[in-house]
Amino acid sequence: MIRHRPYLLNTILLLGAFIFSVALGAVFIPPETVIRILASRLAWLHVNPDWPASFSAIILAVRLPHTVLVVLTGAALGSSGAAYQGLFRNPLADPYLIGVASGAGLGAVFSMALNWPTNLLGFYLVPAGAFVGAILTVVLVYNLARVDGLVPLTTLILAGVAIGAFASALTSFLMLRTELQLHRAISFLLGGSPIAGWEPVIAALPYMLAGMGLLSVSGHMLNVLQFGEEEARQMGLNVDRAKVFIIVVASLTTAVAVAFSGVIGFVGLIVPHVIRIVWGPDYRRLIPLSILAGGSALLLADMLARILMAPSTLPVGIVTAMAGAPFFLWILRRAKREVFW
Amino acid sequence: MLKIDSLTVAYSDKVVLRDISFEVASGEILALIGPNGAGKSTLIRAATGVVPVKAGRVSVDGQDLTDLSPAQRARILAVVPQARQLGGAFSVEQAVMMGRTPYLNWLGQEGEADKAAVRLALEQTCLESFADRQIAKLSGGEQQRVLLARALAQSTPVLLLDEPTNHLDLQHQTNLLSLVKNLAKKKQLAVLMALHDLNLVSFFADKVALLVDGELRYLGTPQEVIRAEYISAAYRTPVEVVPHPVTGAPIIFPQGMLDQ
Repeated sequence: MIRHRPYLLNTILLLGAFIFSVALGAVFIPPETVIRILASRLAWLHVNPDWPASFSAIILAVRLPHTVLVVLTGAALGSSGAAYQGLFRNPLADPYLIGVASGAGLGAVFSMALNWPTNLLGFYLVPAGAFVGAILTVVLVYNLARVDGLVPLTTLILAGVAIGAFASALTSFLMLRTELQLHRAISFLLGGSPIAGWEPVIAALPYMLAGMGLLSVSGHMLNVLQFGEEEARQMGLNVDRAKVFIIVVASLTTAVAVAFSGVIGFVGLIVPHVIRIVWGPDYRRLIPLSILAGGSALLLADMLARILMAPSTLPVGIVTAMAGAPFFLWILRRAKREVFW
Repeated sequence: MLKIDSLTVAYSDKVVLRDISFEVASGEILALIGPNGAGKSTLIRAATGVVPVKAGRVSVDGQDLTDLSPAQRARILAVVPQARQLGGAFSVEQAVMMGRTPYLNWLGQEGEADKAAVRLALEQTCLESFADRQIAKLSGGEQQRVLLARALAQSTPVLLLDEPTNHLDLQHQTNLLSLVKNLAKKKQLAVLMALHDLNLVSFFADKVALLVDGELRYLGTPQEVIRAEYISAAYRTPVEVVPHPVTGAPIIFPQGMLDQ
């Protein structure tokens, strides 16, 4: 029971945030009505529909797909952040800080410049572009940052920031030079999901589930890698295969999140740290817990983004950055004093 | 039995180990000695497959290790590295459990056999009461025992140690080496150990291999190898060797100390 408690707690948190996110909007729909509307969609449950028809239309066509996409994005960023931190053995490795998210953004905008997603094919081209951008960036940053087989904090951040800035510059250039819908592209890059409805959810779902499922089984590899590559090999891990596996899967997961929700910083940094501080460093549960908590965290940020300037909506990337930057500084201070890494 | 056969290792063009051959029988401790840069650590790393071998082979009980996967190799050879500050947030028990990596399933889940092996390894290294402590909060000697326990959890017939007594004080040096010697006898392990302190070598090792500039100069018992003329030449430092008054084991001094 004690072993399962963190999962239970995080699932309850996620469900609670989920219901509230669906309830929240221009028209507030009471949470119990939300639950009853959702329950009424389950074939084996018979719920008496005593709510206005517009409620179920708002929920099922607008808020539910939006909320599901936010959960998936947060889960993807949280788990890939945990995987990058473990792979680079560096507490500050986050998809945003090491430039992967910017690289994915460049790839996504590049493929948008070729084919702005107006049909379902477009939906699949954007994540493919984002994936290529993410992989190229992570390989470049890793090789630039590596010193004697280790990836020290300073070089990793320097290389990540430099490559990330370069990718962002190229993205801006691309947006100015091509006939993209500028407003949509900018709000995309800030993390304000530009596409509504179920289509992006359906397009993202297979990649996300595959990515997060594979990250969840890489926990033991990440554990062993914490002792260094040489010792990991001596303990029987096929280090090269494990590294390629984790880089590809984490980058795929990040890329899909970026392709459908834009470049959102700090979720991948904060969530794994909170989990690590509360429930310890074992990646076999750090990753699944980061999936659950990542979903809750981004939902919380998304609700703030919708409330703070209501009726207009802030891009969620602004909220995560505002909350994340102070947290980042706190980690830097804490890392000097205590061992939680 | 561990057998090193005509082993040659080179980094790009530079040969760092040349045509090394020796055997370590089960229950026996062979100490690798030699000046810094002689190739002691490289020999251990080559045996574990971390450094590519240019020629020759490493085998255990007749089985060639060259073409084995990392997991297969880790069921035959376990390594105790020098203590480092890595994986510091893991508990002692979690770290020792990682020695079970070559036996775990693809999810990395441990079974009863794995838990039993970890319990035994903790018991053998007197770490049971430390099981839930964070590695980073242990002393250097305790951390080195954790690394030994992790290697024991691998349940291998061969144990390799790379200067395990570095950074340890006299008490922890002798404790650790006594522990290794007892385990070697009790579990019939073949132990290959790189060691700097020649007096510890003559007390704990059954056989000694003296490496100089990547070549095996002398191989034999401590009495045969730790001789003033060999050691003086190898380390380019004049030394004197006297027998221990009771055991006869060679004791080594830098020259001049006995005259004072």
